[in-house]
Amino acid sequence: MKKFFLIALSLTMLLVFSGCTGTTSTEGDTFSFAMSGLYKPFNFQDQNGELIGFDVEIGKAIAERMGMKAEPVTNPWDTILVGLNSDKYDAIIGSMAITAEREENADFSRPYYRSGAQVFIAADNSDIKTVDDIRGVNIGVVKNSTYGKQALQFTDAKNVFEYDSDLTALQDLKTGRVQTVITDQMVGFRVIKEGSIAIKDIGEPLSMDEMGIPVKDGNTELLAKVNQALEEIIADGTYEEISKKWFGRSILGE
Amino acid sequence: MLENISIILDQSLGALIKGLGMTLQLTISSLLIGVIIGLIVAFMKISHIFILNKFADVYLAIVRGLPLIVLIVILYFGISNIVTLSRFWAGAFALAFHNGAYIGEIFRGAIQSIDRGQMEASRSLGMTYGLAMRRIILPQAIKRAIPPLGNQFIIGLKDSSLIFVIGLNELWGTGQAISASTYIQFETYLIVGAFYLTMVLFFSWLVAKIEKKLDVDGGREVTRI
Repeated sequence: MKKFFLIALSLTMLLVFSGCTGTTSTEGDTFSFAMSGLYKPFNFQDQNGELIGFDVEIGKAIAERMGMKAEPVTNPWDTILVGLNSDKYDAIIGSMAITAEREENADFSRPYYRSGAQVFIAADNSDIKTVDDIRGVNIGVVKNSTYGKQALQFTDAKNVFEYDSDLTALQDLKTGRVQTVITDQMVGFRVIKEGSIAIKDIGEPLSMDEMGIPVKDGNTELLAKVNQALEEIIADGTYEEISKKWFGRSILGE
Repeated sequence: MLENISIILDQSLGALIKGLGMTLQLTISSLLIGVIIGLIVAFMKISHIFILNKFADVYLAIVRGLPLIVLIVILYFGISNIVTLSRFWAGAFALAFHNGAYIGEIFRGAIQSIDRGQMEASRSLGMTYGLAMRRIILPQAIKRAIPPLGNQFIIGLKDSSLIFVIGLNELWGTGQAISASTYIQFETYLIVGAFYLTMVLFFSWLVAKIEKKLDVDGGREVTRI
């Protein structure tokens, strides 16, 4: 009996201490960057749980230029800036748009791509034909995104519903809980391309956002390095190569 | 639906198993630490020393008053100014902090349910309070604590799903990531649910076995007809 408990205890200890997967290091040779991991094709997980996507590859290229080891990590989007300021990781490379509000809490790099907010509706929705038709309807957006503000231009706050991920928002088009979803055009196009949720896009992009890489407020040294690395990969064609791989064209928008 | 299920299982079984492993590690770590915290808290509440009593009361009030998800976020982001923990340990500690309170009350209930006569008899035999506790009271109390403890362990297992909120890829977080990259939601969540259910059933079986081994109901048989 005692023996059984001792063995069980030591096995559990072994199991537990193998879980000491260590801290996300923010010093020395690693460059850790966070993303939601729920934003195909920019950042998502492959079948082994490894992070892949446009953002991940840009991050890895930047790390390589800076002579550091890349360490992509995930963090829920709504607390991603909080995590940055709590030193959980060095930067965020997760398609975060540069806004004046966010500039107050973090230092952004130069833009690393530009993309637009796009309106999506269910494929079988014939009531909405142009962007103007979405006035007053229920709009789904991702929490803490720039799309929330854009949704308010078309409808009241009480008709705007915030979701944890764009995928969940797009799924609700089918149920009719929201009539439109505003999200990044690339994200929606990818869904259309894979054909898994029946949606279609309406009209032209509502805006062009600039996505940047924020680092912790005041971390000017890292910011300078990141900016330099970014300029380098844009200049020597690495950026174009990555962008073409995911989108068939350069999304730098310069 | 069946087609989607096989797609998910084909592609992402590896990731799901990793998530399962993480959930188990989190649960077991947090329960072990929770049991230690629970024992301490139980004795603090039984104690005659006023300050220990009140301290335990405050701890219980905080843990029972805050939803677990709020507790996790506060402990993860809030204390990072004081001490930086890895995500795993921040999560395990938050869970342990939460479990400890409930486990403490379970232990306290079990200890206090032991007949006063036991302590009186031990004391009159000349045992110190500590010796009596260790040799007489606790062994009996632990037997009584096993069923509610087993229950709390299962609750702890399910609570671990909230750790996704600090970005750790345990089973639920993995499920979210899989559904985001495969665009299949319903079936992914069904599979994740099945995983949890299997673990809970296994845990329950284990607890039942332990109960039998320790002869928890003292051999009292229900009258057979």
